[in-house]
Amino acid sequence: MLRDKSFKTGPGPVTESIPASPGIEGGAGSNPLVAAPNVGALSGAVAGSPFTSRAEAANAIKTADLLLVIALFLIMIGGYHVHFMLTAGDWDFWIDWKDRRFWPTVLPIMLVTFVAAAQYFFWEHFRLPFGATFVSLALLTGEWIDRYVSFWGWTFFPIGLCWPTSIIPMALYIDIVLLLSKSWIVTAIVGSMGFSLLMYSNNWVILAPFHQASEQYGTLMSLADIIGFHYVRTSMPEYIRIIERGTMRTFGKDVVGVSSFFSGFVSIIVYFVWWHVGKMFSTVSYMAKI
Amino acid sequence: MTTTIFGTLARQAKRQAGRLWALGLAAGLAVTMASVGPAAAHGEKSQAAFLRMRTLNWYDLKWSKTSVQVNEEYEITGKLHIMNAWPAAVHVPDRAFVNVGQPGAVANREGVWVGGQFTPRSMLLKVGETYEFRILLRARRPGHWHTHVQLSVETGGPIPGPGQWVDVKGNFNDFTDPVKLLNGTTVDIETYQLGRIYGWHLLWYIAGAAWIAFWFSKRGLIGRFVQVATGVSEDVIITPQERIIGAVSLAVVLGTVIIFYALTSSSYPNTIPLQAGDFHNIQPLAGEVDSGPLKIKYLGGNYKVPGRELVANFKITNEGKEAVRIGEFNTAGLRFLNPDVYTTKVDYPDYLLADRGLTLSDNSPIQPGETKDITVTVQDARWDTERLSGLAYDVDSSFAGVLFFFTASGTRYPMEVGGSVIPTFLPV
Repeated sequence: MLRDKSFKTGPGPVTESIPASPGIEGGAGSNPLVAAPNVGALSGAVAGSPFTSRAEAANAIKTADLLLVIALFLIMIGGYHVHFMLTAGDWDFWIDWKDRRFWPTVLPIMLVTFVAAAQYFFWEHFRLPFGATFVSLALLTGEWIDRYVSFWGWTFFPIGLCWPTSIIPMALYIDIVLLLSKSWIVTAIVGSMGFSLLMYSNNWVILAPFHQASEQYGTLMSLADIIGFHYVRTSMPEYIRIIERGTMRTFGKDVVGVSSFFSGFVSIIVYFVWWHVGKMFSTVSYMAKI
Repeated sequence: MTTTIFGTLARQAKRQAGRLWALGLAAGLAVTMASVGPAAAHGEKSQAAFLRMRTLNWYDLKWSKTSVQVNEEYEITGKLHIMNAWPAAVHVPDRAFVNVGQPGAVANREGVWVGGQFTPRSMLLKVGETYEFRILLRARRPGHWHTHVQLSVETGGPIPGPGQWVDVKGNFNDFTDPVKLLNGTTVDIETYQLGRIYGWHLLWYIAGAAWIAFWFSKRGLIGRFVQVATGVSEDVIITPQERIIGAVSLAVVLGTVIIFYALTSSSYPNTIPLQAGDFHNIQPLAGEVDSGPLKIKYLGGNYKVPGRELVANFKITNEGKEAVRIGEFNTAGLRFLNPDVYTTKVDYPDYLLADRGLTLSDNSPIQPGETKDITVTVQDARWDTERLSGLAYDVDSSFAGVLFFFTASGTRYPMEVGGSVIPTFLPV
């Protein structure tokens, strides 16, 4: 672990230092002094510090904080976006893929991966309950850039055809479950389940208008079907859609509930696995020296 | 230390290496970008020649207009023969979709009919049958667009047919695509519900950003890391007040979703799931390919690579009541015409039309009851430009196509022909 490594490599404990976290709320020195960390620059502030004043140190930390968070955000835009597009892309791309069966099943399972890993990173090392929201916001930023610039700007597909799935309510929910429970196991079980259940319900607000019915030359079609049919995607014949086509094993028309709960159960397992993936990647132990 | 001119040059080169690399990359990029142009092809030439010849045969193709205004409708009509020679390399079209090959959504596909059936989804087509189709398009983006017909076959892939250039004029912003709903209202799907989509996403984007900003403002990353690393009490790092804020936020999130879900459900009480059934009742055309009173036996042939010439020998028996003549050979979208039969100009994309490309060893009509051995020679540069010359190098050196026979009274008999060919590589 990062902090374990720091403890092992740092000098002996010191009792006085520049407050490590001036923060935006109060500026330099506004926080009560705490036992100083044994990390180089900060402990070095006492003796041989590169800073001439506490305010300067506070500003440096503030700048480093901003640089770190921006860098992490950019990395997540790329990393999470690639992962999500490769594993759940078409369901998220197209209005005529957003069905009752596969969309609410696949997306939460694929989304909860980075969510769990990010929650480990931000919670275990920073006690910050925004890991899920952070990566989801990054993902949506990347998606909207992609949909607006590529799908609309280059290919002229209307946004009505290719809007991204709304995921922030799910992320806020699972973050707050972690905040309130302070337990990753509770978050895995209660949070992941709710994370999945919230997907269809929060998206229904923008999806429902596209599921109104229309008769097209004697054939019943939803508006989403019509949009997908009218806007020609040469490389996407209709049969390639992986959507609900009926099965003898569903509970009649209550497909969404079954799919969402199933997704929730799988998401619980995926959360457990990816929490530990987050643990593996939240370390500097792979580096020979730092 | 002695300095030589070579040493100086070497040091100079070393110093300049980074710049040279950058300059080289920039030059390379500039060179590649200089040749960038709009993509107009759809990969139709990239598929193996024998596959293109043996899968589908498109004929009687007609583009109703080649110059239209934005919002103007036009059609592609024609017939599609699923070849008996369908190759084993491609799965039979028991799940297929008639598509349009065009550079993006330049025209909206208002409707597709196959065998008179509206087919917005996949369908079952049978090998050996011929189907009539109609594609109704609505011009959307101004430009000069190459518009193909295309059949996509599940697990097989897309099989592009012939394409035609269509000019769309006008203003893109004027485009509308009205659709009438079952409840009687008409909506424009080009812009439908955009405000709702943007609004809902913006609301939650702001909420998410606010949540992150709130927590980030509490001692940032480094400060909190230090606190956690030094074992500061949990209640100091996250105060009870902050947890209450979290609980309230949770209630707001869930409440917002529930309220908007309920409002949406009451606003749109009648919704249906995505429709996904395939069509299995597509009616083929009667009296088309292979329905003529002719018996054709393929006696063998060869393909002369240097001359781009296919020579095929047939024994043809006319069992009908009228004399017939061979007027055309159609394969992979290319039409090779017998100029003695086609005496007027044919309306067809020029790059696919060899209007003097078909010659016969005996051009006289085959009389009723007569059997003739005829050598059909198909020769044109389009064999090469459309990359059918690759036939000689395919894993299955065989061709297929449709021969069109004509009677003096104007009756037409399309007959599927094909078989193995032996390539001739050296100049003859």
